[in-house]
Amino acid sequence: MLPELLQGTDAGGFLIIQDSASYSGRHLLKSFINSALDREEAVHVLGFEVSEEELKDGLKGSPIQRLHFHNAYTDPLGWTDHPAFTVHQFCLEELTRLVKQTSHPKPATLVIDSLSWILRHLSPPDVCKTLQQLRKGGAVRAIIGLLHADMHQSGTVGSVCHLATSVITVVPVVKGDKAVAKITKRSKSGKVMQDEEIFSIKDDFTVIVQGKPSQLGHKQADPKEQETDPTANLTFNLRLSDTEREAKEKLALPICVQQREENGSAPLGPRFRTNFV
Amino acid sequence: MYTELNSILNTTPDSFTQGEFVLLSDRKSDASFLIHHFLSLYLRARCKVWFLGLVQSFNHYSAISQRLGVSLVQAKEKGQLVFLEGLNESLSVLIPQETDTTSQAMGFLSDPAVGLKSLYEFVRSSVTSSGGGEEEADGAEEWGPPVLLVDDLSVLLSLGVSVGAVLDFSHYCRATVCSQLQGNVVMLVRCDGEEEEDDGDDEGSERLLKGLTHQCSLTLHVQGLPTGFCRDIHGQVEVCWRRRQGDGQYTQKKLFQYKVHDKGASFFAPGTSSAVL
Repeated sequence: MLPELLQGTDAGGFLIIQDSASYSGRHLLKSFINSALDREEAVHVLGFEVSEEELKDGLKGSPIQRLHFHNAYTDPLGWTDHPAFTVHQFCLEELTRLVKQTSHPKPATLVIDSLSWILRHLSPPDVCKTLQQLRKGGAVRAIIGLLHADMHQSGTVGSVCHLATSVITVVPVVKGDKAVAKITKRSKSGKVMQDEEIFSIKDDFTVIVQGKPSQLGHKQADPKEQETDPTANLTFNLRLSDTEREAKEKLALPICVQQREENGSAPLGPRFRTNFV
Repeated sequence: MYTELNSILNTTPDSFTQGEFVLLSDRKSDASFLIHHFLSLYLRARCKVWFLGLVQSFNHYSAISQRLGVSLVQAKEKGQLVFLEGLNESLSVLIPQETDTTSQAMGFLSDPAVGLKSLYEFVRSSVTSSGGGEEEADGAEEWGPPVLLVDDLSVLLSLGVSVGAVLDFSHYCRATVCSQLQGNVVMLVRCDGEEEEDDGDDEGSERLLKGLTHQCSLTLHVQGLPTGFCRDIHGQVEVCWRRRQGDGQYTQKKLFQYKVHDKGASFFAPGTSSAVL
């Protein structure tokens, strides 16, 4: 499902990437930005959490000209005289004005980095209202937002995600730079689909899906079984061949030979009694 | 500075990553020995250092830095170190004298609800007015990139400042020092409880730690050993790189154990302490 979502959200779609302090969802967010740029869409990024330079780091080529970064990072609270964009400007009118500043034939995709920053300063109902107005308003084709789920109460997270048409929750896998994406997608008919996929992100922000978490368990077991065969490369034989077995059975034990020879006395000699009756 | 920690972090006074936000944290332990490492590292690297010392006196840091081979008194006299002694400054806020002309950096003490804009203003005006790496006035020495150290942020919570206000302060410091001036920021935050899967209700140090973790590029988390007290191993440090490293991996975590000495600290892989080998 992850590749389908990367190929494009439907008009009026609202995708949320939920992350936590243990794994940042911003890499996946940049993959979505990259995919939208490759589809020749205009992308407007409302950047609160990272600078323009950091967001654009790694995104290369001419499509980047269609990426418009609105700087809400330098002064989001208006502490200086000339703030570029403050969190209090997060409303339908201001955002519509921002997006329409650049003329582009197709409605743009709005990326919000991050919703958590806004939710820390504006009330959740106001944020939800603005998001819903944006979805229905027509100024933007689709909205993608990053949400740090561990920074808010579960009620707030639930309310915002309720507005979304798709929610991707990313959690890390123990080894390597892979992660698990837990996806919930609501179609227009009301059908809800859920899936879990393991993925990794390459340097050029392409996403490689590597199967499901349950499959990973099996995959890990098989190589281990194939890796080490403890019966290989031994310095001794574990099994006897037929001739070796015959020879072994024919062999008389030294103790029996001595017993026959000394005819009645104890096998170990007259001084040692072994039959205690 | 601790040479083993330098090799773990791949830093030297001559070469270190600029624009980094380093988060030092501890849980039921004391990570302040790491503050001394970064203080001596950046002074040796000839950076201009702004130190917000909110929990200890200048003499305390000076005495420890002396043992690490760095003189804070000299650095202050040369203009390389700007030290805000929070304990002293707070007295002038709490017991104002008519002749007081000190800055309003600690002004939040009289009304914590106002937030930390005044403290940020102190940092911003000081960092930008001295050029932050540009040429000083005639005859003055030229210093490297600016570095801001804060010890520690958790005490602000105890003084009545909200988690949101502290996160806003750290955001603005990062935007100014890291992004605008390509300097580094190092902040210490301390947690006293167990790590909880809380609902986001917690307005305390846990939420602050998570919020700062989302903002930073490198974390060093200090904890005691899970097995209990040990005379030869004082605890463990988990180092987590959150930005893309040279080999393309995004998040990389490594665990080390450490022991603090009189004149430094040694770091080693778990189980390889010289006391047990």
